Amino acid sequence: MEIAVVGSEEFVVGFRLAGIRKVYGVEPDKLQETILQLLEEKSVGILAVHSKDIERLPQPLRDRMMASVDPVVIPVGEEEGDMRDKIRRAMGIDLYKTK
Amino acid sequence: MAVREIQPTRSELLETTRKIRLTKNGHKILKLKRDGLILEFFNILDQAKNLRQEIAGLYKTAKETIAIASAVDGVIAVRSAAYALTVHPEIQLRSRNLMGVVVPEITSSRIVAPLDERGYGIIGTSPRIDEAADAYEKLVETVVKAAELETTMKKLLEEIERTKRRVNALEFKVLPELEEIERFIRFRLEELERDNIFRLKRIKNKTAAKTEA
Repeated sequence: MEIAVVGSEEFVVGFRLAGIRKVYGVEPDKLQETILQLLEEKSVGILAVHSKDIERLPQPLRDRMMASVDPVVIPVGEEEGDMRDKIRRAMGIDLYKTK
Repeated sequence: MAVREIQPTRSELLETTRKIRLTKNGHKILKLKRDGLILEFFNILDQAKNLRQEIAGLYKTAKETIAIASAVDGVIAVRSAAYALTVHPEIQLRSRNLMGVVVPEITSSRIVAPLDERGYGIIGTSPRIDEAADAYEKLVETVVKAAELETTMKKLLEEIERTKRRVNALEFKVLPELEEIERFIRFRLEELERDNIFRLKRIKNKTAAKTEA
């Protein structure tokens, strides 16, 4: 299986340099479409998306990305992503604080 | 099950007490499972937190190096180096069983490649591009590690939520209902018993009056 990266051109160019083939530099308005496509694709094992891009996506898609295991969606960037919310819901306390 | 639909019989009472025993047992086991899952979750939580911070840090440095590389050498040079790569990371997914939860184990082929094995010419590209490639290779390696941990966490969280719901349903819904049914049958039987005793006494009195007369 392969790693896929989606995001703006400047986000993905470095990943291409790390040898990843499934790299999709897309415009913000095409982002949703591409992610949906990649979630369906069987050969993708890990999907890396910029955490800021994730924040801009509609909530249903975010939930779906969060629940998806094949592929695993990994937010890359400074933000913690939706994991924190999920933990708070399941455990009842905010355990994912990093600061 | 509404209390009214219950037949107040002895066999029903036995059946209900058996059900209560079973429910209590199941409740105990599920509680143990929940605690075990939470323990497992805490073990992973710290690692995942560290990895997340690591990703944030690595991404920041990677972004800086590639910004420098594309500023000095030009975007086209960076891209052409990227397209010349021959080493492509592959990942393998295997599954592992963790307290009844199937979690993936992700292994990757070598991501961090030595300079001379990357595929682009060393002379043709600048050290800044090498540095950027280095930084991104490290980032990707951490992302693969994080993928495994975060999936494990997701699955554990789901299982914890489900188990918690089951434990609570047993504790606050199923058990009280069963106990209410048991109480109802028991009272009902006692009442029938008293009815019977009273009737017997009356018959006894009647027969006694008859024999006296």
